Amino acid sequence: MTTPTATRFRRTARAGAILGLASLALVACGRDSGSDAPVEQGEAIGDGKATGTIEVWAMGTEGEVLDDFSEAFTEENPDAKIEVTAVPWESAHEKIANAIAAGETPDVTLVGTTWMGEFAESGGLEPLPEDLVDPAAFFDGAWGSTEVGGTSYGVPWYVETRVLYYRKDLAQKAGWDEAPASWDELKQFTQDLQTKGGAEYGIQLPAGGTGSWQTMLPFAWSNGVGVTNDDGTEYTLDSPEMVEALDYYKSYFDEGISPTRLLDAGELESGFADGTYGSFISGPWHTGLVEDQGVTEDQYGVAVLPGVDSAGGTSFVGGGDLAVFSDSDNKESAWKFVQWLADPATQQGFYDEMGDLPAVSEAWDSGELSEDPQLTVFGEQLDNALAPPAVPTWEEVATVIDGEVEKATKGDTSVEDAVAEMQRQAEQIGTGL
Amino acid sequence: MSTISPSTDRVRHVDPTRRQQAVAAWALALPFVLLFVVFSLGPVLASLGMSFTDMRRTDIRDPFAVNPVGLDNYVQLVQDPLFRKVTLNTLLYLLLGVPATMAVALLVAVGINRVERFSGFLRVGYYLPVVTSIVAVSVVWKFLYRDNGGLFNTVLGWVGIDGPGWLDSTTLALPSLVLMAVWRNFGTLMVIFLAGLQTIPQEVDEAAEVDGASGWARFRHITLPMLRPTLLFGAVITGLGYLQFFEEAFVMTKGGPLDSTRSATYFTFDQFGFGNYGYAAAASYLLFLAVVLLTWVQFRWLGERDEKGATR
Repeated sequence: MTTPTATRFRRTARAGAILGLASLALVACGRDSGSDAPVEQGEAIGDGKATGTIEVWAMGTEGEVLDDFSEAFTEENPDAKIEVTAVPWESAHEKIANAIAAGETPDVTLVGTTWMGEFAESGGLEPLPEDLVDPAAFFDGAWGSTEVGGTSYGVPWYVETRVLYYRKDLAQKAGWDEAPASWDELKQFTQDLQTKGGAEYGIQLPAGGTGSWQTMLPFAWSNGVGVTNDDGTEYTLDSPEMVEALDYYKSYFDEGISPTRLLDAGELESGFADGTYGSFISGPWHTGLVEDQGVTEDQYGVAVLPGVDSAGGTSFVGGGDLAVFSDSDNKESAWKFVQWLADPATQQGFYDEMGDLPAVSEAWDSGELSEDPQLTVFGEQLDNALAPPAVPTWEEVATVIDGEVEKATKGDTSVEDAVAEMQRQAEQIGTGL
Repeated sequence: MSTISPSTDRVRHVDPTRRQQAVAAWALALPFVLLFVVFSLGPVLASLGMSFTDMRRTDIRDPFAVNPVGLDNYVQLVQDPLFRKVTLNTLLYLLLGVPATMAVALLVAVGINRVERFSGFLRVGYYLPVVTSIVAVSVVWKFLYRDNGGLFNTVLGWVGIDGPGWLDSTTLALPSLVLMAVWRNFGTLMVIFLAGLQTIPQEVDEAAEVDGASGWARFRHITLPMLRPTLLFGAVITGLGYLQFFEEAFVMTKGGPLDSTRSATYFTFDQFGFGNYGYAAAASYLLFLAVVLLTWVQFRWLGERDEKGATR
């Protein structure tokens, strides 16, 4: 019979054999040296009506209303059937990734704009067919979010963009009847809100932390920074313009105009209501949130982001894109459904139903979207807004930017070092294309 | 340790039902073995293999079309300044947390062991945080730690001290999390130590008392040595838990400020989130190694003395 040592030896040997087999299996595989030629757009689809079942995944409230909303589509295309599955945003990324990995996908899905790079690069999304929609009909920034390595993989469905929210009453007290239009004016404006308007802080800017790049990068974009080169193969973060923009951003913390503390949920809105923060930068959802806190419509205003000079600043555009899976077995009809959703009339209808801002600029030319003074600000800002580069590694690089912004604003490193470090790490990560 | 003697071995060889027994045993074990191989061993080996490749999220459709990179991921991890920082944070959490938790637990256990009345009530009270959801606890403590209007700073304010922003300071944030972890976790150890204390024969203690040993001397020379196996067990399980701390930081600080509360597990979680599957797998195996090492060290350190004590 075996002694314990022999058993142990045999066990080790067996473990070794398993490891050996595993590594053999690994040696047997290898990455294809993929061709660098850009992927062609898909072939144009036919003219006929949509048929068959079109399975759609949509997240959030969109997922809940889309089913009823698409009845108009099935009336036009009686042979088609739309089956919407509402997916919670929290689990959506995982669910789409798993579906792509397993090859068991629905036909159409809503995709968060920052996920496009990853899913397109993994081969899970179908390139947009030629001539399905006119790219010029969409806001430039929104369309940019669908383009991965020069090829478009979807259609923008709805958008959001960031604008300046400010307390009108405090601004008037400080002698400002209009919103600031340039960087110098913004600085003066926020200082005045603090000294003459009675706000504890002139503006609330995130000093770092998750997602602070969405507020910081618009300043960089406004100053002419390109985050990547044109074909998205290299990060180009370390430019004098980036240093200048971060330096300007940092000055708000150095001069005590913005707090360096990261706020808890709900603190910003209540602080805006009680005059702690005179202004902040955020998206359309905040109109409702600040009004819930008792700020009346006369008390606050929204304005397009100030540019370096009075030319107007570039903002961030986010939202959702519609894409068709390459494993879909009803692609042609799926694209027809996407085409219908991107039609200006449908987009306007969806706004009426949901309040989602349309990605098609024509939808803003009539109705409430062209008249409401607040909404027109968002419409105007959308003409000058950029999406982050649609590359698979964006979220990782964004975290690097968040971290370096925090180091700079809290005085841990100099602005130059922070920008150099962003570039160094971003280069190391690569764009993943 | 027992070795089977050759004679019993020979007896087994002639057992005619041995074969059937083996078959029956395997047949009975098969469902579990299959489940274990498919759902436990398989993924473990797959992730180990993954840690030697450059697999990324974009490879999910073709998981085998990735390049083997040998130890590159591990080398890169060791050189990654952020990984070094999170390792340091985790070690600090461990070194601050384990002794503090054990000390508090031992103190309370010894105290409760003496108390005649209300001891059941006290036991339940001290144990309660353990069974409370860690997320709920973290959310509540986040409020306690708030700079303005948090309980701690309000109380400090009464005695005229302007309390700091506990979770906003790079030096205080981690110790603040440790404090909460101690409060939450000492209940388990307290129960274990209480059980250990009850096994100490009263006679020894009484004999020492008759010999004129002071309370501290009795604790130091009787209670502690006799509790050593229990202490070892407590150190191991607390250490394992603290090495993998994550939820507290995830809920309360998001790893900030300036990564001062980002743990090794948090780092791995982030890397999986970024889709760097190979890199993330390598990080989790380094953590696994650390767990094995820590347990080994603790067994060496506390266990050996225990054996010496037992043979004496």
